[in-house]
Amino acid sequence: MKSPIKRWFAERFDLDALNQPIQKQLKKPLPGHISWFHTLGSMSLFFFVSQVLTGILLLIYYRPTVHDAFESVKYIMTTATMGWLYRQIHAWGANLMIIVVFLHMLRTFITGSYKKPRELTWVFGVLLFFITLVFGFTGYLLPWNQLAYWATTVGTEVAGAVPVVGEPIKILLRGGVAVGGETISRFFVVHVIILPWALFFIILIHIFMVRYQGIATMDPVGSEKKVTAKEGIPFFPDHVLKEGIVFFVLLGVLITLSVLAPFDLGEKADPLKTPHAIKPEWYFLPMYQVLKYFPKLLGIFVVSLAPLFLVIWPFLDRGKERHPLRRPLSMTIGVLVILSLLIFGVLAHFSETRHRFLGKTYEFDIYGIPHPVSESREAGK
Amino acid sequence: MRKRLLFFATALCFLSTPSGAQTSSGNSCVDCHEETREDVQTSVHGRQGVLCNSCHGGDPTQTDKVLAKAPGTGYLGIPDKGRIAEKCGGCHADVEAMNFYGTRTDQLARYRTSHHGKKLSQGDERVAVCSDCHGYHDVVKVSDPSSPVYPLNVPETCNACHGKPKLMDAAHLPSDILEIYKSSVHGKALFEKKDLSVANCASCHGSHGAVPPGVKDVATTCGKCHVNEKKYFLESVHARAQEEGKFSECISCHGNHGVEHPTPALYQEACIRCHASGTPAFQQGQKIAAAIRDADAKLEETGALVRQASIEGFFVEPEMAQLEELKTNVLEMAPIQHTLSIDKLEALHGKVAKISEGVRQSVGSKRESLRRRKAALALIWIFIAVMVGALWTKYNRLTKHRHS
Repeated sequence: MKSPIKRWFAERFDLDALNQPIQKQLKKPLPGHISWFHTLGSMSLFFFVSQVLTGILLLIYYRPTVHDAFESVKYIMTTATMGWLYRQIHAWGANLMIIVVFLHMLRTFITGSYKKPRELTWVFGVLLFFITLVFGFTGYLLPWNQLAYWATTVGTEVAGAVPVVGEPIKILLRGGVAVGGETISRFFVVHVIILPWALFFIILIHIFMVRYQGIATMDPVGSEKKVTAKEGIPFFPDHVLKEGIVFFVLLGVLITLSVLAPFDLGEKADPLKTPHAIKPEWYFLPMYQVLKYFPKLLGIFVVSLAPLFLVIWPFLDRGKERHPLRRPLSMTIGVLVILSLLIFGVLAHFSETRHRFLGKTYEFDIYGIPHPVSESREAGK
Repeated sequence: MRKRLLFFATALCFLSTPSGAQTSSGNSCVDCHEETREDVQTSVHGRQGVLCNSCHGGDPTQTDKVLAKAPGTGYLGIPDKGRIAEKCGGCHADVEAMNFYGTRTDQLARYRTSHHGKKLSQGDERVAVCSDCHGYHDVVKVSDPSSPVYPLNVPETCNACHGKPKLMDAAHLPSDILEIYKSSVHGKALFEKKDLSVANCASCHGSHGAVPPGVKDVATTCGKCHVNEKKYFLESVHARAQEEGKFSECISCHGNHGVEHPTPALYQEACIRCHASGTPAFQQGQKIAAAIRDADAKLEETGALVRQASIEGFFVEPEMAQLEELKTNVLEMAPIQHTLSIDKLEALHGKVAKISEGVRQSVGSKRESLRRRKAALALIWIFIAVMVGALWTKYNRLTKHRHS
């Protein structure tokens, strides 16, 4: 017995034909080794949706001009109904999304899921990671505070150092010789129109590929066995239930962080007042630190290698094994990369600061090396 | 031929050097008085071409010592104090000469009205004349920090004489004024903060027309800077006492050279000198002091509250604006207290109390809002736990069912 609505549609559309592929996707079994780590992709999607929704709410009040940007964000945080909440969720969401996308990529790397025939899925995934970073970079400027202004100035300056094309790229990014009204305007357009749609379509392609080719098993390349309904885990409802659990936890984490550790708006951008030790956002810190150890051009070349290798990695690692313990070389490289990211990130975090450890004050130079501060200097600071 | 002879004779006249040779620089004095050369040349006078003879007489164009000091050159040598005043005044009272520099021309006239000038006219050479304060060969502009009469240097310059016990004893004047002044609010501002706008000796006593301000003049003197205090004082009951000569306006409460930063404690220390404790006038003073004390305390307390709220991460811009308004009212109480009007002070105190309470409530509501948000977190997590529990139970059931 069909409901009147269903009947209305059935009279006009071949619902069974439409329902078949949906049912096929829902019932398609996932490999038996599917774990909680396999929800990282959905978690990334969750953050994307959250960013879009909170972004739309922010757009109601946000004004992308030099004069109004800071004030409008302040208005959202202080006056707009629940503005503080969706602004904080957006800010925290941006940071957590980068972590989750990175972890999703790491899981793919560890389980060797990027190998044949899923090389392109990996390439699109890496592209999604880069877009997420650009999202962060462009969004960071929009509140138009001191940190944002100067981090963007330094960031675009790095782009400007690339030989031949650097200067035009810098001018294109800034919309002029310095970061100003034109920059905020184009960063805004990129952040709220170009990137969301780009990300949306690439996510569609990425998901299509994942669903079309299926989740990779741990079998070696060429020996993958087809997952049967008996051996595998149904996508719906089993895996979807796990994702539901994760979504609720993420929602709680986002709200908790927004309430207990809100992001500070800081001071309004002042192009005439350069703050001490300008640093980019945490996810660019390792790159920022590496740039310090090399001459300008060489530094840019070195940090450009990382994304390049990331994109072409499936074409370099052509071994058939997927299990991490059977891929010692890949795993060693992976561990070294993670360690270097952590070390350079920590060095960058501490560089050009003063901290107290075990009752003694240390001043960290630009390379992040600690130097003990003499008591007399400390007293006269 | 005759024409040629005439030409040579004329040329010889121009080329020959007479026995009384003239100096090329035009100021031969410094050739002998070498030690004064630099002072004279770098002084404000030297730069304007005012040579030694303007004060000392003589002919500075002569290279010969005898001819330079010859009779008829008006040579004076070292002028006595009476001459110094006349010599300086000779130019500085000349409107035509001084007009170009925009300098006042009444200094000499004013000097003559001063205690210094009057004593000098009586032949007392112990008093100060122009050179005692401005220097002599090395006179520089008053605005030059190296000038003895630059505001920062005035107290030390005056003290050069007024700090000499022997000299001051003879004039029946105290000789410890500089030390007292240094400890005063003015002295601290001048010497420690280098605040040139603050009162120094000349601000109250005058410079060229220096006189100790009389009892009635003190208020005028202080009122030059403390305009509002002066204005409000005239509304007070003390203004009548002042007119009758019973009350020395500012000095009665604040003192003079050693004036300290006034606090409400002054109402204890000063009022008691004239008003017995327990009298209505004394009580009124205590009420005023209490209102001011409370306003000060509220300002401090509210400021601390706003600072703390800012540290806690709250947006406190509106509260900061209110705090500024509160501060304005507290600052306004300082001059208004000179009216001794309890009504006016109570009105200001009321505003202060209202603003302080407003800020307290505003910060309180922000803290309460955060508290409610934190409390809401507990509810949210309960909801999440229920949902997660439900989904997890369902998932477990499915898994068990499949395995069985």
